[in-house]
Amino acid sequence: MSIETQASTAIRQGSVPALRGVASSSRRGFSPFAVRGWGVLSTILKGLGLAVFAFALFGPLANLALWSVAERWYTPFKLPVTYGMRYWEVVFRPTGDAMSSLATSVSIACLTVVVALAVSVPAGYALARLKLPFRTVLMIVFLLPQAFPSVAIYINVARVFYSLGLTGTIPGVVLVHAAHGLVYSVWIAAAAFAAVDKDLELAARNIGASPLRTFFTITLPLAAPGIMASAIFVFLESLDEFTGTFFVGVPQVTTLPLLLYNASMGGNYQIASITALILLVPSVLFMIFIERFLKADVLSKVGQ
Amino acid sequence: MHKSLLAAGFTAILLTNPASAQTLNVATAGDQNMVDYIKDYLGPMFEKSHPGVKVVAVGTGPGDGGSQKIFEKLDAQKKAGANSDFDVVVIHQKAAGTMVKDELLKKYRDTLPTGKLVTRDTANNSLGADVSGYVMPMFHSQTAIAYNPDLVKAPPNSYAELSEWVKKNPKQFGYNGIKGGMSGVAFVTGWVSAFGGDAAKLETGPYDAATKATWDKAMSDLKEFNKNVVITPGNAGTLDMLNRGEIAMGPVWVDMFYTWKAEGKLPPNTRLKLVSPGMPGQPMYYAVPAKTGQEKLAAEFIALATSPEVQAEGIVKRFNWYPGIDAKNVQPKLEKADWDKLFVDITPEALAANGKPFPIGPYFNDILETYEKKVAN
Amino acid sequence: MTRPSFFGLILIAPALAMIAALFLYPLGFSLTSAFTVPGGGFSLTHFEKAIDLYSTDILFTLFIVITSTLLTALFSIAIAGTLTLGETPWLISSLRFLYRWPLFIPFIVAAQCMRTFLAKNGLMNNSFVAMGIMEPLQATSFLDWRGIIITFVWKQVPFVTLMLAGAMASIDRATIEAGRNLGASRLRVLIEIVLPQVAQTLLVGLVLSFVTMLSVLSVPMMVAGSQPTMMTVDMAFRINSYGDYATANALGVISYAIAGAVAWIYLRHNVKREIAA
Repeated sequence: MSIETQASTAIRQGSVPALRGVASSSRRGFSPFAVRGWGVLSTILKGLGLAVFAFALFGPLANLALWSVAERWYTPFKLPVTYGMRYWEVVFRPTGDAMSSLATSVSIACLTVVVALAVSVPAGYALARLKLPFRTVLMIVFLLPQAFPSVAIYINVARVFYSLGLTGTIPGVVLVHAAHGLVYSVWIAAAAFAAVDKDLELAARNIGASPLRTFFTITLPLAAPGIMASAIFVFLESLDEFTGTFFVGVPQVTTLPLLLYNASMGGNYQIASITALILLVPSVLFMIFIERFLKADVLSKVGQ
Repeated sequence: MHKSLLAAGFTAILLTNPASAQTLNVATAGDQNMVDYIKDYLGPMFEKSHPGVKVVAVGTGPGDGGSQKIFEKLDAQKKAGANSDFDVVVIHQKAAGTMVKDELLKKYRDTLPTGKLVTRDTANNSLGADVSGYVMPMFHSQTAIAYNPDLVKAPPNSYAELSEWVKKNPKQFGYNGIKGGMSGVAFVTGWVSAFGGDAAKLETGPYDAATKATWDKAMSDLKEFNKNVVITPGNAGTLDMLNRGEIAMGPVWVDMFYTWKAEGKLPPNTRLKLVSPGMPGQPMYYAVPAKTGQEKLAAEFIALATSPEVQAEGIVKRFNWYPGIDAKNVQPKLEKADWDKLFVDITPEALAANGKPFPIGPYFNDILETYEKKVAN
Repeated sequence: MTRPSFFGLILIAPALAMIAALFLYPLGFSLTSAFTVPGGGFSLTHFEKAIDLYSTDILFTLFIVITSTLLTALFSIAIAGTLTLGETPWLISSLRFLYRWPLFIPFIVAAQCMRTFLAKNGLMNNSFVAMGIMEPLQATSFLDWRGIIITFVWKQVPFVTLMLAGAMASIDRATIEAGRNLGASRLRVLIEIVLPQVAQTLLVGLVLSFVTMLSVLSVPMMVAGSQPTMMTVDMAFRINSYGDYATANALGVISYAIAGAVAWIYLRHNVKREIAA
């Protein structure tokens, strides 16, 4: 019996000690008038809280939007002095290759998701359900690509890829991105499989389903929401990556984040803001696509 | 779902196939405007004179980090025994010395028709490393103090005056330390040259490891000075704070300064001042990797890029940058007004007197490391 | 289930092979350079140098990352809790729509936004002044350690919340109803009933956030000045300014040790939990 079910049974039976006595202490009387007053106040408070939250979220993004249409903006002016689409024209000019880099970026991100999921679904299942030696060590190994400074690694990867003829190719870049995204897909897939109720699998096996059939009809669908959520993170990770792309892909493969990185680091705010806004489109579309694809409440089992 | 993803992938693979018979790959360190300069101006011009050739430009990021990435990529290619992806590289001084030493570059300048138009010492000597014949300067850049005249009526003329000014106006001067980019580094090496003793020895050598002990006073003064300044996030961070009027003064690269001004990101009346005894500057170099397959095209590309016409029209008129080849070849190609725009804030005399090279490599590293130990820690 | 599963090893093999080829093998070169001196054998010189020069920065990094992780936990729990236990439909639906946006913003862009948003004369202070909440003279810059933490939390809260809200949505509603019927406040239900059931997800999200924040270069580089700064900036500086890969790699090893320690604590906790269950 998992701890969750234990907890819920315990609560259903009213046996959680912390909750005893709550019933008596919270029965206080309110006049109807006071209740209505409290309701109005509470709505105002909620609205205010939401406004503060929205400000914290969208304030920085508003900056992005403003810079993308600011042609001149300097002290002492609090807002842009002149607005215009000049920098949009710069980004989309015929000699600039924003759109083709964007197409490359999105294709690489999609392929990265496929590769990362293809290897991490079996790995996640094994980590969650099967007895593996040094399981802790294996889990930590998958964290590596996130934790170690990437530049030093990519130089060596590039060296290996030259001898394999993988530099300057899409598969080379996809492999590097997938290795970097594996931490999300493996960790989250492992957690998603661990959350699937073993009793359901046992029931399927008892009525004569083969292990493979059980996996594909019971386990995988139940773990799917978590795995799909990990796909979002892998996708975003790939769409943001530039160091690996540089060492392995450039100059044959150029992606939009390379432009974004240059522009951002150099303080070309307008170009960087516009590039970031363009990159927002595939990210949001991918998220919506994943949600549609799952139809049911996509996030209901994420990462348990 | 997988099918559509795969289809997208294949489309991308098809897209990356070279469309033209010949491709000239140019990798450039520095800001995005350097990439755009090649994409929009030099590239099309070169393609016109070389039908069938396509110029592809890639940026590797601003500052020494950008050059370092080019070095790492060429180094990885050399160690893998592969031909290099890049046919022309645009790099900073520090990387140039290392690349020549590691035999990653080709000696090409002497065959270039424009090779003899170069007169500056930095074309042969890159921070103490002999790079003669390996590099052609694209443009020369200089650091200087940018200030907002609304806030600073009488800008300081020297490091000593600046130090006094900062005492009287705390938190009005900002620079980016040494980890955030070269404008901060330039300010610090300028400080050591001003207060640390023998400045000429730092620029020309010979190197003596004991010299760094003589900087103690200068460094502790700098630590004191730092208490009254704002440490900004990066080269762009300094300009950014000038943009919002949070600082009144700070060291910047002249080329970045003009770009920011042109992009409407600095108050139009912001000015520059090159303080005495001097602040360093450095060129960006064109170089050709040793194992390029397009040696001839690369040389022709650089010849075009360093021709007096392109230097006048592209470097001086377009960007307000100091030309890489000798000025006397460039000046006749320009209207007087365009040429004079270069020297509105910094006169040719001030540039000659106060525009210094960076210290030679070993001193350079000593200054940075001493700063890390004594000032930042 | 007592002896290692051969089948399990086959399943995990492709993923492991990928990490081994694309990470462990190249990492070998880095470790070698961190632990040896040129032409010599094993040495800890580079670690001594790393500690000597960057001890403050290592502590600073720990402080930033731990504080950000704790704040991320706090905000994620608050948002996910409201989404799960809230009783105001319009509040829940607007919150659900709002909270995800920073997820789609790359770190480097987040850094750039925050640099112009949090500055002394940035958009935030300007808005406060315009709304009359603040006097212009009270404006201060947040572009220091606070800026780094704000940026990290801003970027990581949606990530953890996305995972957490999903986990909370999937727990048995009956347990929540039971608590509510007994008259427990929603806060109490959240802390005593909901959280223990989703602790696993929360921890996975926080470990991943912790490690991600530890490895980000652009935020400390662009948001705050460099004294003190985070280890990633020092690593980049070592490489770009001195070509000194050895010390950079030594710093990398320290960074990885920190990440490994956190992951290990989490996994130990996990094992104990499994045994207890």
